Amino acid sequence: MKLFEFVRERRWIPVTGYLIYVAALSAGYYYNLTFVQLGLTDLGTQKIGMAPEGVSIVMAVLALLTLIIAVGSGLVMDRRGWSTDLYVKFRLLFLIILVQLLLTIAAPFVSTVDQFVLWVVVCSTTLGLGIPVTFSFMLDFIPIRDRGYVAATVAGLSFFVAALYPVEWRIDEFSLIMSAMMVPAVLILAVLSVKRFAFVDALANQHEHSTFGTGRCCRPTPIRTLSFAFWGPVLLMFGVFFIDSLGFLRIIEEPLYINTSWQSPDLSVRLFIAVLHVFGALAAGVLYTNFDRNWVFLWVFGLFAFTHLLYVFNIRFGASETPALILPMFYVLAVSFYTTLNFALWPDLSTAETIGTHTALGVGIAGWLATFMSTALALYSEGIGLPLGSHLTYVNALSLLFVVALPVLLYVHRMFELARGEASS
Amino acid sequence: MNLELIPLLIIVLLMVSAGGVDVETTEFVIKGDHEITEHRGALIVGDATVTVPNDETISGPVYVIGGEFRVHGTVEGDLTQLSGSLVVEDGGTIGGELQHIGGSEELASEATVAERTTTEFAPSESDPVAAYTPVILTTLILSLVGAWLSRKRPMLLENIGTTARVHPVVSLTVGALLSVTFLAVFVFMAFTLVLLPVSILGLLIGLVSIAYGIIGLGYLAGKQLETPRVGVATGLGVVGIMVVLQVAGAVPIVGDLIAGTLLLIGLGAVVVTYFGLQEFEPVLLPE
Repeated sequence: MKLFEFVRERRWIPVTGYLIYVAALSAGYYYNLTFVQLGLTDLGTQKIGMAPEGVSIVMAVLALLTLIIAVGSGLVMDRRGWSTDLYVKFRLLFLIILVQLLLTIAAPFVSTVDQFVLWVVVCSTTLGLGIPVTFSFMLDFIPIRDRGYVAATVAGLSFFVAALYPVEWRIDEFSLIMSAMMVPAVLILAVLSVKRFAFVDALANQHEHSTFGTGRCCRPTPIRTLSFAFWGPVLLMFGVFFIDSLGFLRIIEEPLYINTSWQSPDLSVRLFIAVLHVFGALAAGVLYTNFDRNWVFLWVFGLFAFTHLLYVFNIRFGASETPALILPMFYVLAVSFYTTLNFALWPDLSTAETIGTHTALGVGIAGWLATFMSTALALYSEGIGLPLGSHLTYVNALSLLFVVALPVLLYVHRMFELARGEASS
Repeated sequence: MNLELIPLLIIVLLMVSAGGVDVETTEFVIKGDHEITEHRGALIVGDATVTVPNDETISGPVYVIGGEFRVHGTVEGDLTQLSGSLVVEDGGTIGGELQHIGGSEELASEATVAERTTTEFAPSESDPVAAYTPVILTTLILSLVGAWLSRKRPMLLENIGTTARVHPVVSLTVGALLSVTFLAVFVFMAFTLVLLPVSILGLLIGLVSIAYGIIGLGYLAGKQLETPRVGVATGLGVVGIMVVLQVAGAVPIVGDLIAGTLLLIGLGAVVVTYFGLQEFEPVLLPE
């Protein structure tokens, strides 16, 4: 790892970059995982008294708005050159976190549907802007060689803390803790936004070095936005997020499976899941660093396919017993794998000139749009009374389809290259 | 699930398959405390405590591979015990054949067993020679295979050994992921009964791959001897690795971790080198 090299050579400025990246992304992802995804459901249903269907519509609005704002801000960042200006990104991040802090403090006081919708619209604006800003930090702070491991650290840390958090999600308590955690970040970013520092100047130039900057998939030729090389991974990642939400949303609705999930009241179960998230993320980091990225995709789809197969099997033959931890174990591995891939992939498919657009499109479409669509579909399947076993069979079929489609897609693409005489060897 | 149950589970599934029982009616009770009042098809008792209450009758066959099976009522079919504990209380009835192969057994004086057979295995713990014979034989075979391979196809072992030495983290990660995933996949395949032969074949290939990994590590260890007699060095290296695995196994937790890590590194190195046919090269990243 380059990090060890930097530490050995006592080059503390690049090491600071690692710390800033891991802190910013872990906190951001944790906030999104917990406060936005789970806290808002509590706010809408418990505090305001909305029906779950109503809350899910508001959440869909949040997902779509976030996607639109992410893509818009990503395009603007690239066109105006903000993607390569660290000071501008610090200022934007300061604004984002400041607004999110105010939103977090305000959350317990939201009492009507109108206020809730307004809250969500402002929140989605900050989230959308936050995607290209935070994901593009990898270009400035993390050398290409270490991206898999750093992405694994971010994913592992976020999931570890989120899985261990007590099962009761109360917006008041949550708001207080989150606000306290955000205040130091706002203060630090405020200082970095108004004053120039030598160490920030050094960090700001790092993306121009060959070890940073241009992503691993963009060498020697940068990947164009309108190319198969970019939209192929977007499609695959869309499939990953879609499969995850579609399966997970129905599974956690079942009281039988809650005892072996994040929401388990048993601390030892949550600890098992938390530790496994870390191991899974580290394994994904090792694979991402040493193998072609498609191998990681294959592992993700394979793990999801097998996980859903286990759940379907358990539903059919497991009677009414609490399932063995092997079921969530494979789910957790798959989730850690794709989250790590999600953090490392988009910067590696980008250059300093395209990072804003590519991360916005990647995370926006693959992450937010896929999650929104699968959430809607999961609610629909629940609404029409589709049994859990049948629902998971469809999810399983979808993951198996992707397991097969990936090598076929690569093979056909290679055929087209050969037919056009573009093959390098 | 207790990993030690897996071989017994495979054996039982083979027996279920041979007995022609419908897989959809087979139930495997893995944990917890249960009272069974009605059941059709085969029942496999794993790490759980399963009780047939008074005045209740289940059809069977029943296979006990772990945990505890208590009979107060009636089991109409055959009962096979491979491990775990079997208790038949006064008034309890086994209508078919009770086949005792392993585990502890407690039959009350008033219990009724229609037919009983016992398959005795000599206790291995009491005789150290008998206990270590399989290990010594395995070591000998692996040493000979290693010596032969290192003379005939040294590049195979060179690739595995080099990968294990230069990329231990990659090898360990791949080995661990493969073993966890494929072990579960093969056990799952066994449940379908149709894929039972594939499952057994897969587990055998897994064991052969682990053995191949040990030979690769043995080759690596043998190179430290710096002797031109590569066959002898590899043979001795394999012996050394086997001794390390045995000694490590005697130390609780840490020893198991060391032994497991060694085996998984070997397995991972075997897989990423395509069984030694190609040296592992990670993707090219800028320095």
